[in-house]
Amino acid sequence: MNTPHQHIIKSYDDELKRLTGEIVRMGELAVAQLEAAIDVVQRRDERAAQRVVDNDDALDALEHDISQDVVRLLALRAPIAGDLRNVFAALRIAADIERIGDYAANVAKRSIPLSRVAPIAAAGGLANLAELAAEQLRHVLKAYHDQDAEAAYEVWKSDAELDEAYTVVFRALLTYMMEDPRNITPCTHLLFMAKNIERIGDHATNIAENVWFVVHGEPLVAPRMKRDETANPDFNK
Amino acid sequence: MTNMNEVASQPGFGTSPHAATADLGQVPAKMTVRDLNFYYGEFHALKHIALDVPEKKVTAIIGPSGCGKSTLLRIFNRIYAIYPGLRAEGEIVLDGENILDPKYSLNRLRSKVGMVFQKPVPFPMTIFENVAYGIRHHEKLNRSQMEDRVEQALRGAALWDEVKDKLKQSALGLSGGQQQRLCIARGIALKPEVLLLDEPTSALDPIATSRIEQLVEELKKDFTIVIVTHNMQQAARCSDMTAFMYMGELIEFDKTEKIFTKPDKKQTEDYITGRFG
Repeated sequence: MNTPHQHIIKSYDDELKRLTGEIVRMGELAVAQLEAAIDVVQRRDERAAQRVVDNDDALDALEHDISQDVVRLLALRAPIAGDLRNVFAALRIAADIERIGDYAANVAKRSIPLSRVAPIAAAGGLANLAELAAEQLRHVLKAYHDQDAEAAYEVWKSDAELDEAYTVVFRALLTYMMEDPRNITPCTHLLFMAKNIERIGDHATNIAENVWFVVHGEPLVAPRMKRDETANPDFNK
Repeated sequence: MTNMNEVASQPGFGTSPHAATADLGQVPAKMTVRDLNFYYGEFHALKHIALDVPEKKVTAIIGPSGCGKSTLLRIFNRIYAIYPGLRAEGEIVLDGENILDPKYSLNRLRSKVGMVFQKPVPFPMTIFENVAYGIRHHEKLNRSQMEDRVEQALRGAALWDEVKDKLKQSALGLSGGQQQRLCIARGIALKPEVLLLDEPTSALDPIATSRIEQLVEELKKDFTIVIVTHNMQQAARCSDMTAFMYMGELIEFDKTEKIFTKPDKKQTEDYITGRFG
């Protein structure tokens, strides 16, 4: 972890700290949204699901605030070197978290039609998937807060695990659909929800890449195993 | 040959971040500073400085007050030689010759290495004479040749259009920015190869500053430029290479883009981002 010296102009430090704080707060809200979304799927609570959907506005507003702060910092402070990377990364990370919020809201939204049909056992795999994604998100936010590139790299590598779990859910849902065509509608919703959660993992890896860039000033370039096999033409043969 | 898979397996090293520096590295050095030490009497002001100033590029020297950046610039044309008790050790090789060698004539050096100072100091004479004065010291030209040379220098300094109708007026009537461009014209009139600029815009407003910076960009087609500046953004905007100096030492010297995005040394980063070191 690298602790930079303080700026001679104190208010500059305050503004950068505020930006980091906003990102962390936005990230925590996104984690809470994801957890709430999966909770409403399990409890089959339509009203609570609607509340999760509505809460996404708060994330959008935070992203807007962060964009404003970034523009102000760029215009008034003309940051360079590490400061510039920090400000630049904040803008990109905020955009990733905003998308994560959209995916969480989407999961909650699809839980509403799902709660109107008989429960499907395969829905259980979704909770595991969501827990993996939330864990990734919590870790990458901590790595961002601590400016810990190694911790970010660990998150980046762990996305393969989420991809693998997604493939398992995908396979299970296909089986359910083949067994009984009446399962097709709820299973299709579940497929989209699973894909949304898998995408959250991709955005967490984007954030990890940005943390790496902030610390090292170079892009994170390394081979990463994609374990989402569902787009493979030979899948399910 | 490098195994690409090996490279790709190392995080952060997929592409060489120093590729651009390497490109600049192929530019031949106009001046090579080797183990340069400088003393003001007992005070060791510059310590073991070594750097290559690339030809027809802009090299910026930055650092806090008293770090030795102006001292270094002044050694490049041996202006220190006019003061007693000052001495330089080491080598500065310009086109294969050590300019610190006492046998290297000052007159020859000054015609090869021109200098512009922080405060524009026009001579108390006409605009035309300001430029012609130095040329007369070095060359014998007839009237029309001299007129051509003065016009050429004033055009080179992006001042011709503003002064062509008042060449016989006093240079003291020009604005600060125009006076500084006149000093640049005076410098380039001798057709030097290296142009040293010591804080050339610190006394100018933003518009005049932009004009000088634009001029620097144009001048580097013909001259090797070394600029000392306290203005970090100016160094970032107009130089190709940047040297960061601190307490008489050269801390870091690299491509400007590298210095201002990801310097290697923490001291450099602290200084350019305005932190306590």
